[in-house]
Amino acid sequence: MSKSLLCPCEDVTASELEHAIAKGSRDLESVKRFTGFGTGMCQGKQCLTAVARFLEERVPLSPAQVMPFTPRPPLFPTELSHWASASFDPAVAPAGGVPDSLGLTEHALKPEGAVPARAKIVIIGGGIMGLALAWNLAERGENDVVVLERGYLCAGASGRNGGGVRMQWGTPSLIALARRSIDLMKRFARDLGINVWLRQGGYLFLAKSDAVVAKLERSAALHNKHGVPTQILTPDGARDVVPELTMTGVKAAAWNPLDGVIFPWPFLWGYAQAAQKRGVRVETFTRVVGFEQSQGRVQKVVTDRGDIACETVVLAAGAWSPSIASLAGVALPNEPHRHEICSSEPLKPFLGPLVSVLDSGLYFSQSMRGEIVGGMGDPKEPAGMNLGSTRRFLTRYAQALTEQLPQVGRIKILRQWSGPYDVTPDNSPILGRTPGLPNLLQMNGFVGHGFMMAPAVAERMAAWMATGESDELFERFTLSRFAEGRLEREDMIIG
Amino acid sequence: MSRRLEPVTQPITFELDGESIVAQAGEPVAAAFVAAGRSTLSRSIKYHRPRGAFCFSGGCAHCLVRIDGVPNQYACQVRAKPGMRVERQNAFPDASIDVLQATDFVFSKWFNHHEFLAGVPVVEKVMLEVARKLAGLGLLPEKPAPAREPALVEHVGVAVVGGGAAGLAAARTLAERGVAFTLFEREARCGGRLLVGADEGAPAIALPARGDVRTDATVVGLFADDGPPCLAVLRHERLHLVFYERLLLANGGQPTLLTFPNNDLPGVYASRAVSRLLRAHRILPGQRIAVVGEPDECRALAKLITSAGGDAVAVGASPVRAHGLRRVDALTVSTQGRVEKVACDAVALCAPVSPSFELARAAGARVSWNARSRLFVVEADSRGRATPSTWVAGELRGPMSAAASAEAGLVAGHALADDALAGGRP
Repeated sequence: MSKSLLCPCEDVTASELEHAIAKGSRDLESVKRFTGFGTGMCQGKQCLTAVARFLEERVPLSPAQVMPFTPRPPLFPTELSHWASASFDPAVAPAGGVPDSLGLTEHALKPEGAVPARAKIVIIGGGIMGLALAWNLAERGENDVVVLERGYLCAGASGRNGGGVRMQWGTPSLIALARRSIDLMKRFARDLGINVWLRQGGYLFLAKSDAVVAKLERSAALHNKHGVPTQILTPDGARDVVPELTMTGVKAAAWNPLDGVIFPWPFLWGYAQAAQKRGVRVETFTRVVGFEQSQGRVQKVVTDRGDIACETVVLAAGAWSPSIASLAGVALPNEPHRHEICSSEPLKPFLGPLVSVLDSGLYFSQSMRGEIVGGMGDPKEPAGMNLGSTRRFLTRYAQALTEQLPQVGRIKILRQWSGPYDVTPDNSPILGRTPGLPNLLQMNGFVGHGFMMAPAVAERMAAWMATGESDELFERFTLSRFAEGRLEREDMIIG
Repeated sequence: MSRRLEPVTQPITFELDGESIVAQAGEPVAAAFVAAGRSTLSRSIKYHRPRGAFCFSGGCAHCLVRIDGVPNQYACQVRAKPGMRVERQNAFPDASIDVLQATDFVFSKWFNHHEFLAGVPVVEKVMLEVARKLAGLGLLPEKPAPAREPALVEHVGVAVVGGGAAGLAAARTLAERGVAFTLFEREARCGGRLLVGADEGAPAIALPARGDVRTDATVVGLFADDGPPCLAVLRHERLHLVFYERLLLANGGQPTLLTFPNNDLPGVYASRAVSRLLRAHRILPGQRIAVVGEPDECRALAKLITSAGGDAVAVGASPVRAHGLRRVDALTVSTQGRVEKVACDAVALCAPVSPSFELARAAGARVSWNARSRLFVVEADSRGRATPSTWVAGELRGPMSAAASAEAGLVAGHALADDALAGGRP
């Protein structure tokens, strides 16, 4: 009743912020991802200073450690129809963009004191893969684990994705992993005590060319064989699922009502908190700067806060994995590719499924908070780490979205951001041992769908690491397959 | 009670949830609500707390309403037009009596949606359904957007953002030095706080003798993905992409939220909202207004309120707690350790604005926390240069009087002119 509001848009109160601080949030990016403050209509204009002051009063912070969260374009909520009214040159590769703060500011927040001198297992990357693995290992009784994260929790792609989870894949391995992941997501609140708001509204893929229709039909047959009830729909059938859609140019659709959308942030820190409760140490704002190797093994992980002697190292740093592997002299074939995404003002629920036009890479869904969250791959996006946000993306996305869903023309974009896909040559992950360095384990290369695969992959990986029993995942998707020419092609990639 | 200080000269009527509201033609919808004593404009997203206009500068989200079928419009930014259909949002059955405010009483401190009923079989499924139904603000528009004119692409030498004290002084300087510029002002008239603030000793509003000054022009972004940097500007329902060589930012700040229980009650206003209502719209938002916060600003605002026939109370005190069920009816304040409860029908929170640093940062400027003002401010050299092609002036740098802002605008204007007249690209 007598609440002190710090973020009136999202109704975040002083008591909620006290709770976030008690749970370990020390910076505005983390507080944002824990409480949701600053994600509403005002995007921080009203609340950012108030929350910074609140934090500064309760956490010992020097002025250099008080940093704003990255301001996301646009400056004021702006209608999709306006962004769609501009043009862009499809022949030119996108570049630049409004910069993200990631990589510029973390040094100020580096914790004092050294990292633990030794640990049985060091996991590099505090994203969904690393944290889910840490929790699964701890569940199996192995809690001598340190997770190293260079930024705040949710700083990487795990905190930047649209939260889509689907069983509609093109290979049996990924279908099985996705089905298991969705089961684990349903149990997440029971197992870890945190609501992640999985909403199974389905995935509706639209196809506009014969080639994509053939791909959907091929994969639907595979889904049915593996127990996924995917149906091929006519355009009219697809409009029965989402009446607001236009079907211009659509030839067919694939529909699985069991796919869904999840809220990424609590899913990630839910794993982190539960792992920490079981004794895992999660070291944020800590950078890996090298490896000490001898006798064909990694002996120590060298960080900017000291060395950690260890038996096993897991590289689960997503799109940052190749640059870290190179510190150990290992060449990974993955490349980072920027994918841009945006979120609208919150609306009352009207859109059940995640809709994707596989031909163009457009996808959009409605989050549990009511926002239309969506993005669109850019065929001209060059390889390279770039977390900038472009006007070109807003225009491309707005044009494609308002063509498919005209009623959102006057809906306003609140914020845009981007995240890196971790792209491998065959669109399949890299898992298991590293040739020549057997105690360096790979857990990366998930091409934009690591978030939804993580619960199942981590469960299998923890079992494989703890028992040593063979598992085809860690034989099929090894790094050595690229040298051996054994590619595992996956073609159900959005964007 | 709130009241108009002058009779309405050009009356129009529009509709609020079926009720007829009289407004002065062209005034913001939210101003007409305040004058009509309709303090509750909406209900908050989670606890369904009553909300009314707070900042009157399109910076908070307290006044969102559905207008002519389009959700989440800022009532403080949309001008009243005859026959407009305004609906309150997120309330059941309506905004004055919203049964969903029960959540506010049940969860008296906060509602931990992360852990509430986590993992309880069956119940969590029901909770998911209920949460989905309660989520979101506003309904999908019934119709697609009207056809938009294609965005206009423009190239200018110097772009100035903001036509307040600092921006106008910079623009006058550029005009005097013979440097062509285009100025973008979000509001219908230039002046900023010279027009709507309570500052004493503020300079008069003086437009530059020449130059391209565009009002009703909202800069919504600064992007650099097409090579040279470009401002995205919305004006008269059309997007403009304005490529520039040099940029002068004088876009000020947004009211800072002060933290105390019930700080979001209708009737609690940012100080500049109160002075704006008085000066620009001739509306006194309450008869007995508690004027709390930073002492100098309080004194200036109190004077303005008194001269309009209102009573300023608790002037310069610190707010401790606001009271009231549907709108504020009292404020507990502390003055040098003495705590008392003061009856009032409006509250003005006086505090320096929080710099709107987003565009500056997108242009590459550094933003840092100032330990004294406890605000994020834009860093620049003594003449306002923040990057090789960006100059900043006024309240973007931190708390500043209107006179000091104008002086900073003059200095930055000269610095930019020196650079531009020296030739070459920045």
